[in-house]
Amino acid sequence: MMARQFGFTALRWAAGLTLPVALLVAMQLTAGQEGMPRYVVAPTDIAATLWQLLTNGDLVGDALGSISRSYSGFVLGAVFGVAIGLLSAVWRQAQAFFDPLVSTLYPVPKIALLPVIITWLGFGDVSKIVLISLAVFFPTFINTLYGARSTPVNLVWAARNMGANRFYIFWHVVLPAALPQIFTGLRSGLALSFVVLFATEMVGSHNGLGDMIIRAEEAMRYDWMYAAILTIGLLGFLSDRALLVIRRKLLANKYPGEARRT
Amino acid sequence: MRQRILSAVRRMLATLYPLAVLAAIWELLSRSGWVSPRLMPPLEKIFSALFADIANGELLFHTGVSFTRALSGFGLAVVVGIILGVLMARVRWFEWMFEPIFSFGYPVPKIALYPVFILLLGFGSSSKIALIALECTFPIAVNTYFGIRAVAPRFIWSAQNMGAGPARIFFKVLLPAALPSIMSGLRVALPLSMVIVVITEMIGESAGLGYYISYASASFMYASSYAGVIAIALVGFLMDRTLVLIRDRLLFWEPSGGAQASKLSY
Repeated sequence: MMARQFGFTALRWAAGLTLPVALLVAMQLTAGQEGMPRYVVAPTDIAATLWQLLTNGDLVGDALGSISRSYSGFVLGAVFGVAIGLLSAVWRQAQAFFDPLVSTLYPVPKIALLPVIITWLGFGDVSKIVLISLAVFFPTFINTLYGARSTPVNLVWAARNMGANRFYIFWHVVLPAALPQIFTGLRSGLALSFVVLFATEMVGSHNGLGDMIIRAEEAMRYDWMYAAILTIGLLGFLSDRALLVIRRKLLANKYPGEARRT
Repeated sequence: MRQRILSAVRRMLATLYPLAVLAAIWELLSRSGWVSPRLMPPLEKIFSALFADIANGELLFHTGVSFTRALSGFGLAVVVGIILGVLMARVRWFEWMFEPIFSFGYPVPKIALYPVFILLLGFGSSSKIALIALECTFPIAVNTYFGIRAVAPRFIWSAQNMGAGPARIFFKVLLPAALPSIMSGLRVALPLSMVIVVITEMIGESAGLGYYISYASASFMYASSYAGVIAIALVGFLMDRTLVLIRDRLLFWEPSGGAQASKLSY
């Protein structure tokens, strides 16, 4: 039984690895061959370059610049999104103003404001952070609002019946009920923050992974380009995992079932 | 009848009033002289630029280019995403092969691959469409996969019991049951397609709304670049509304997705 179970899992892993490994092997075998374009780089060369850039610190500065911009924008957008979302959930006037506004502007790509924001705030970090936080605000706000508004009314009644005041109900009933969906919004926002970060860095920047990718492509240093792409992909992936860990920690004692779902 | 018209008008006013407030603040800032009117032109100038560029056909041309690219990429992603999602949900070895790619690839910013796409497909429309398709395939495939997997087995069993073949089961049982989930995947993907098209057009391109906006602001024609922003906003908004209309048509048995627009989730 154990052995069979093990064989099953191994088969599953092998199947999952088939396509990525096939791609890597194909790149390794064809790289540098006659007639192959120069941008096909052997994965071993990419790994060597990545290691070299990491150890001599060339990549670290760019990665830190990108990360600090993206996290600042994310935190700013998330704080505003959650705060205004919760405010709208408990105060009707705020909802009447923000809900239609956000729902209307939701499908509008905020990235269109990039050139405009650059003319306002210049090419520095501020314009990038503002644009990222704007992009993060929308999904966070909407999910916070709808999460808080879908608090089961029975719970609110029960709390009120037991003499809880409004603040207590907000803090101990509405907020916990909204938390799972708040995290759904934060997760969409986090993914968007990396997309916007990359766009702002590619368009006008002298630092950051997006800029490094463009520079490497123009200089035809394709191994650098792949190393930078790998880094930004990895950072996006790890940030998402970190958010899921925080979510699990926060939800664990409230929603045993909810927390396990990713 | 009168009642219905009145309530419709009231709903429209409720939606429009926040926008009107923002417009009023803009106008105030622009006219007060606190902000340089070059950076914040009065609305009148923005709209005259908008109408002038619509009239001379320039804005319509760029809108057409962006819209075609976004829709082509999105359309590709719908086909590929739904097929992959269904196969992952129904075929075990296919699930083993592709499910890890989707769950690991989901949070990775695929836009970083744009330079690779340029190298492979050139600077034209095809690299943009391919990137849009890649980015949009993820939410569509994942939502289709979860939607189909969540179909109660007893529905399938009873269909089989009544003699339905695989094709009939797919079209009459699986697809309708998974449609709400598929539709919410489409709803996540559609705005993404506009985001990607605008970004890629800002980087080295000579057509499309992204190019139009960055060109206008690089040549200090700020009123025109705001006109471009308005055009993008309208296209994004109308595409989303159209999708909601289609959704409500197809899913007449489900409550409308229009109002709670955006209970978006992964």
